[in-house]
Amino acid sequence: MQNELILDENAYAVWEQLLGSDGPLKVAELEERTGVDQSQVTAAATQAAQQGYFKVEERERQELVADPQAEAVLAKGLPERQALQFLAESGQPVPNGQLAGWANKRGLPPNEVFKYGPMRGWMKRVKSDQGAALELTDLGNQALEEQDDDEKALRLAIEAGGAVYLDDLQSRGVDPARVEKLLGNRDELAKIKDRTQRLVSLTDQGRRMMEEERVKVKREQTALSSDDITSGAWRDITLRRYDVTLPAETAYPAKIHPMRKIMEETRRAFLEMGFSEVVSPMVESAFWNFDALFQPQDHPARDMQDTFYMEHPRKVDLPEEKWVEPVKRTHEDGWKTGSEGWGYKWDAETSRRVVLRTHTTASTIRALAAHPQPPGKFFAVGWTFRNETISYKHLPVFHQVDGIVIDEEANLATLLGTLQAFYHKMGFGKVRFKPAFYPYTEPSVDVVVYMESRGKWLEMGGSGIFRPEVTEPLGCKHPVLAWGLGIERLAMLRYGLNDIRELYRSNLDTLEEVALCR
Amino acid sequence: MPIVNIDLEWLNRLLGKPFPPEKVSESLEQIGCDVEEVVEITRSRCPNCGSLVENPLGQEEVKTCNFCGHESEVPFERAGTSKVVRLDLLAARPDLFDVGGLARALHGTLEITTGLPDYPIRDSGLSLTVDPSTEDVRPYIQCAVMTLPEVDETSLVAIMKLQENLHWGVGRDRKLASIGVYDLETLEGDITYTTLDPDSEPFVPLGMPGRPMTGRQILEEHPKGEAYAHLLSHLPRYPVLRDEKGQVLSMPPIINSEETRIKVGTKRVFIDVTGISRSAAVKALDTLICSLAELGGEIESVRVVQDGQERTSPDLTPRQREVDLEEARRWLGLPLNPDSLMASMRRMRFDIEALAGSSAKQDNRFLVRYPAYRTDIRHMVDLLEDIAIGYGYLNIEPRLVRSMTVGEPRPEEQVGQRARQVMIGLGYSEIMSLPLTTAENHYERLRQDVPERFARVSNPKLKAYDVLRSHLLTGLLEALYENRRRPVPLRLFELDNVVALDDEGPTRTAEERRLAVVEIGPDAGYAAIRTAVDALLREMGQEGRYQAIEHPTFVTGRVASFTTDGQLQGVLGELHPEILNRFNLEYPVGLAEITLHRIF
Repeated sequence: MQNELILDENAYAVWEQLLGSDGPLKVAELEERTGVDQSQVTAAATQAAQQGYFKVEERERQELVADPQAEAVLAKGLPERQALQFLAESGQPVPNGQLAGWANKRGLPPNEVFKYGPMRGWMKRVKSDQGAALELTDLGNQALEEQDDDEKALRLAIEAGGAVYLDDLQSRGVDPARVEKLLGNRDELAKIKDRTQRLVSLTDQGRRMMEEERVKVKREQTALSSDDITSGAWRDITLRRYDVTLPAETAYPAKIHPMRKIMEETRRAFLEMGFSEVVSPMVESAFWNFDALFQPQDHPARDMQDTFYMEHPRKVDLPEEKWVEPVKRTHEDGWKTGSEGWGYKWDAETSRRVVLRTHTTASTIRALAAHPQPPGKFFAVGWTFRNETISYKHLPVFHQVDGIVIDEEANLATLLGTLQAFYHKMGFGKVRFKPAFYPYTEPSVDVVVYMESRGKWLEMGGSGIFRPEVTEPLGCKHPVLAWGLGIERLAMLRYGLNDIRELYRSNLDTLEEVALCR
Repeated sequence: MPIVNIDLEWLNRLLGKPFPPEKVSESLEQIGCDVEEVVEITRSRCPNCGSLVENPLGQEEVKTCNFCGHESEVPFERAGTSKVVRLDLLAARPDLFDVGGLARALHGTLEITTGLPDYPIRDSGLSLTVDPSTEDVRPYIQCAVMTLPEVDETSLVAIMKLQENLHWGVGRDRKLASIGVYDLETLEGDITYTTLDPDSEPFVPLGMPGRPMTGRQILEEHPKGEAYAHLLSHLPRYPVLRDEKGQVLSMPPIINSEETRIKVGTKRVFIDVTGISRSAAVKALDTLICSLAELGGEIESVRVVQDGQERTSPDLTPRQREVDLEEARRWLGLPLNPDSLMASMRRMRFDIEALAGSSAKQDNRFLVRYPAYRTDIRHMVDLLEDIAIGYGYLNIEPRLVRSMTVGEPRPEEQVGQRARQVMIGLGYSEIMSLPLTTAENHYERLRQDVPERFARVSNPKLKAYDVLRSHLLTGLLEALYENRRRPVPLRLFELDNVVALDDEGPTRTAEERRLAVVEIGPDAGYAAIRTAVDALLREMGQEGRYQAIEHPTFVTGRVASFTTDGQLQGVLGELHPEILNRFNLEYPVGLAEITLHRIF
């Protein structure tokens, strides 16, 4: 035997009820008295019975269930009772034909009168001079004063809410056998149904448990209140079990913009590789944006078609003469770089024009001019501008990243090594290289990476070694590795976007769906 | 970037053996081509001029001829399919624009034929006289005669396609240089390059049989004339090529005559390139004839008389330049020796020989002879690139420089990251918006006067992008508008640079990193945004000194500026209800903009 039994509130209420009761209680009674629903009463009883604390007896009983119509029928009188009255008023036997006519006129089924009148013993069949007839009996005369057993039983059932057990009738002066006989086939009045009823009582063992206060209650709750926690009441409280497999409410954290996240990853890749971050103005002179990169002044990329030229500021001063003169000479005849140059007359005014920078190489080239001595590694991330219309593929403004390496060992082999390290850091395990042709690098290299999620090779960005026509006028005597990358394209590939405009539409429904770890 | 379709069967015929498409693709990639894909394409025939037109990929029907400009109501008749490799044209390498040029390059890298290609030139006996009137119109002309293996439909398409692509890649859409190709059989005697009166000297242009038109009519009515009218319409006289009996060959750079056009069966052609750039004209002609020579053409020269001087065109004399083995090793980082250096150059279709010298240093010098069509070579490094390609990018062992450097982030990025962390912690989501906008959106919608001068673009293609932003508020309000159907409250921020005019700045502009913060909702307003700003400043180790100000964007009496002991400063307040209406917003909005770092 257990020393102590801990029950939830519902089970405990059942125990309490049984302790206060004289005899066994039916499950329905327990339900009614405790307010605990039937399934939980049954569960508590079954468990306690298994432990030997309760006795559960099952009793087969017959229940009389009154038809909802029965009350109205009784109020008017059963057909045979109305016929009884009629016979009494006639004072003599009434021929069958006359009685049937009377019944039809009152809307009563004559066959019920002829069946139940004699069956109850209220009437008997006699012969008259007008043929077969019914005559009132002594029992019938008595019946005028007193209800029959089935009528009493029906009334009791109606009073009790529609049903009564046959074995309960005896004590109320009603004979169950006669009720069963009379109502057994009158479905329009009532049905007699077989029921199994559980009677629950405490065993001696159970009663002792209660009397010795070894049955404790544990309250069940959805949540603990602050009082429950601080007072220690939580010890007697069971937290309701949840279905932990059900979905929960959806929540999205406030988070970094997906584009910014890739830009931050890019910055980190460079910083980890020992590169210093540099910046330059978005509003840039044609000198730094084009001329310093040996782009001829009549190059189509410098057209108004492709480049944003500024209204304000329209022109700016050229930088220091130590850079301007060599750049000018290199364009014209190659200066002392060993180049043929472009063979035209360089125009300072064209170079003073102000543009929105078309690439972040404008930033790295300024860094090169400021730090021409090896070793140096620099990178820049920022907005770049192209005078284009908008489409799902192009925006007039987008981000680029550019990096340069100024080093005694800068060469094609170290360019490939640096690119490989960089793209590995950007999450591309497989990287290969192919020749390319870019205006200010020689040799030039295209990086092709394998995108696992798409299952194919994709060209990622351009790179190369700056031409001597670029580096020497800025005072740099060493090869300089350079590469750049458009960041939006990377973001679109990574996030599976098909429309570049999505990135800057600030639609939170879209932004929320971009998981941080993607 | 135009795309060219290279017929694989033809390419393999030129290579002398059948290479599988994958091998061809890979080899093309490793000489620098951008291979799009290998596909089956369809051709259609123009009912007007009879040319074969390649159907654009995925298009079953063609209704416009890109040779004569003919447009048809009904689709052109289909004329067969072939397997092609699709390439993006490399603007820098017109010698790789066509099947002939590509076959020449692959001969080298696949080691079928290496070294300098030899293009013998015979004298055609033809002369061309340049009239001085062309001087002010289109002063440069180069020309040649070629005998072609009989022109069939495929080679006709290839010649015309190459011509079109050279117009794009070298001629800058016919402005710098334009090419004409004529059936020599239709010409009589020597040729004159002169000018015509736009209104009185009609001829029958290509695609308009039986319909003589004056120069001006062509510019106004012929499809090709309309397309290129801007190149001539401002001139008093138009350039023209005529033969001895006065027949017009073409009116460059617009159109050839119908009579002289080449067709299936043409055997001998006259080719001219006219232009306003001598180097472009030379490059276009040399590239074209060397490619045609690869297809079996034989080059013949023409005597050109110009300014009383005589010269021979074309001049395909190989150019030469020295290359230094030490420099090649230094620049490329490859373990090159004289043999591998020379083999690499020959694979690129160059000739190379060691320069004899007395000292060991000089033994490292080599003389490279390269073909005339390689006009992209203007420095030794251009040859170094060819050495690398000849060596093979796939054979290069990538490695890293050994020097040690320490990376430093920019201060505005550091402070920006901290600010981002605080704002996300406060439950604000980051957005990013474009830095270009309009004066109306940037100033007027925020109830601000448009300043007299601000960072403004002079030539935007889209009017919506002519102002470089000087604050971040517009982007945030547009974001609220975009998300106006979302439940409130909504909290957003943006971190980015803004630009202001400043004569002291490096490009007469000042740039700074800002943080802008917005909240919309029933409880949004000055108090809530002030709480956010205070939290930010506290986390940044700063204390704000607030001061009431007047600001048209905000509700009077609910707007402040603040300063700190550091660089942080800013404005915050409750947005003016008129602006709420303009952005279709239905709840109060609190807004703050903070300068985090002045960059320059």
